[in-house]
Amino acid sequence: MIQQSREQALALADAIVAIKDRVRLCGRCFAVTESDPCATCSDPKRDQSLVCVVAEPRDIFTIERSGAYRGLYHVLGGVISPMDGVGPNQLRIKELLTRLSTEKLNEVIVATNPNAEGEATALYLSRLIAPSGVIVSRLAYGLPIGGDLDYADDLTLARAMEGRRTL
Amino acid sequence: MRLTRLALANFRNYQLLECEPAPGFNLFVGANAQGKTNLLEAIAMLGTGKSFRTSREHEVIREGEVCATLSADAVVDAGEVALACTITAQGRGSRKVYGVNGHPVRYASYLGRVRVVTFTPDDLRLVSGPPQGRRALMNAALAQESPAYYGALASYGRILVQKNAYLRAGVPDTALNTIYNERLITCGTQLMLARNHFVAALAQRATTIYRRLVGAGGEELTLCYRPNVVGASPAQADIAGAFAVKLKAAAVSEALRRISLVGPHRDEIEFLLDGKVLSNIGSQGQRRSAVLAVKLAEYGVLRERGGEAPLLLLDDVLSELDAQRRDFFLAQLAEIEQVFVTSTAVPPSLIPARIFEVEQARIRQREL
Ligand SMILES: [Zn+2]
Repeated sequence: MIQQSREQALALADAIVAIKDRVRLCGRCFAVTESDPCATCSDPKRDQSLVCVVAEPRDIFTIERSGAYRGLYHVLGGVISPMDGVGPNQLRIKELLTRLSTEKLNEVIVATNPNAEGEATALYLSRLIAPSGVIVSRLAYGLPIGGDLDYADDLTLARAMEGRRTL
Repeated sequence: MRLTRLALANFRNYQLLECEPAPGFNLFVGANAQGKTNLLEAIAMLGTGKSFRTSREHEVIREGEVCATLSADAVVDAGEVALACTITAQGRGSRKVYGVNGHPVRYASYLGRVRVVTFTPDDLRLVSGPPQGRRALMNAALAQESPAYYGALASYGRILVQKNAYLRAGVPDTALNTIYNERLITCGTQLMLARNHFVAALAQRATTIYRRLVGAGGEELTLCYRPNVVGASPAQADIAGAFAVKLKAAAVSEALRRISLVGPHRDEIEFLLDGKVLSNIGSQGQRRSAVLAVKLAEYGVLRERGGEAPLLLLDDVLSELDAQRRDFFLAQLAEIEQVFVTSTAVPPSLIPARIFEVEQARIRQREL
């Protein structure tokens, strides 16, 4: 930044402001979008009975890129991590429960990372959702995602097995 | 297993170092603060992937550099293996990359290729010091043996930190508390099962070694694993069941005191001499004898269970022992495959295979 010209810096600032003005969160799934509801939520070809719960908006891009998923999303805005000051109340869990009562959903797939926080968040959601009769499932991971799991093998296998279970 | 080559770049005070250790005793000799312990730390890090001196591992990177590199060639039963570990500064911390035979590997497939037993002056307080030291002994041995143990330990530690943060925040959430407890039970039961087996094997050897050390008519050393959770039997289901019951009973105290009170993070190993608690009754000499017996037992258990001898790293510990204990200790190691020893002088009654003189971060092999 220091080495750039004032003009370059201003251009960058304008670009950031333009994005800030255009981009907002989808009122239904909380994805980053230019139109509300977002393209996914307003696409009638997507399976309206399936919701994939992710921690961050960027996780949607990862899953979309795989092309293996045709349902809707719900962005929590993080995972439960008391050491970072994030409890269930800091996440969009109430909004998810509202969707469960207003939309005709059959299954919630929790796609948080397979680390301690992601697992705890997935289990927490499954406990809350279970009484409604909606199926809660967990992605079966072949390989760990996220930096804090630099060990794997048996463990990953074990977790993939665990992942097969309906939560 | 043994090392045939050791190389360091920008590790601690070493800019560049390469040496060729021999089978048997390798002695790093030199005045204090020349970098002898750094060499043992490097070997241990090549084996375990972790420093035994610091948890802030960016500290091992030489001042003014961004990256430290360790590599070694080892001969193991399965053949030859080239190990590498690179520690790169990243933000306030560091990132490590492990390599086996020139290929990057995950920590789980790296850990345990070359196993090490370290013995430092800190270990002399194993009996009388805080319980963390005794849990660290179990963890160091078991993590090298089994990636599953390491995984359970890492998960357990992480969940414990989160549960403690949850308790400290003082916002009760029964569902969340239950989930943390269930995860602690799953991982913690695995830890306690493995520790129970390990300490049983350790105790048997330590008792025999201690008997040899003190001679006929001497006291009897016993080691007992004292898990924080005691099941009706040492079977998985019984431990997990007892764990759940104990957590439930402690729920109110945990909420009041805002800290986790139940689980293997509060495990203990008890040392008894003729049935009495050693740290209460023993002399310093008796405690040191017990420590020697336990470290030799640890080496024996790792060798037996791993099918080949681990490396033994002795950091300036021989000079801390009196002549009788030192001679006994060395006699027990007579047939050992490879040992690395640091000392300010060649210890009496030690016959080194190779001597490396360490001075101001340079080493020179002394002609024998
Ligand atoms: Zn949307």
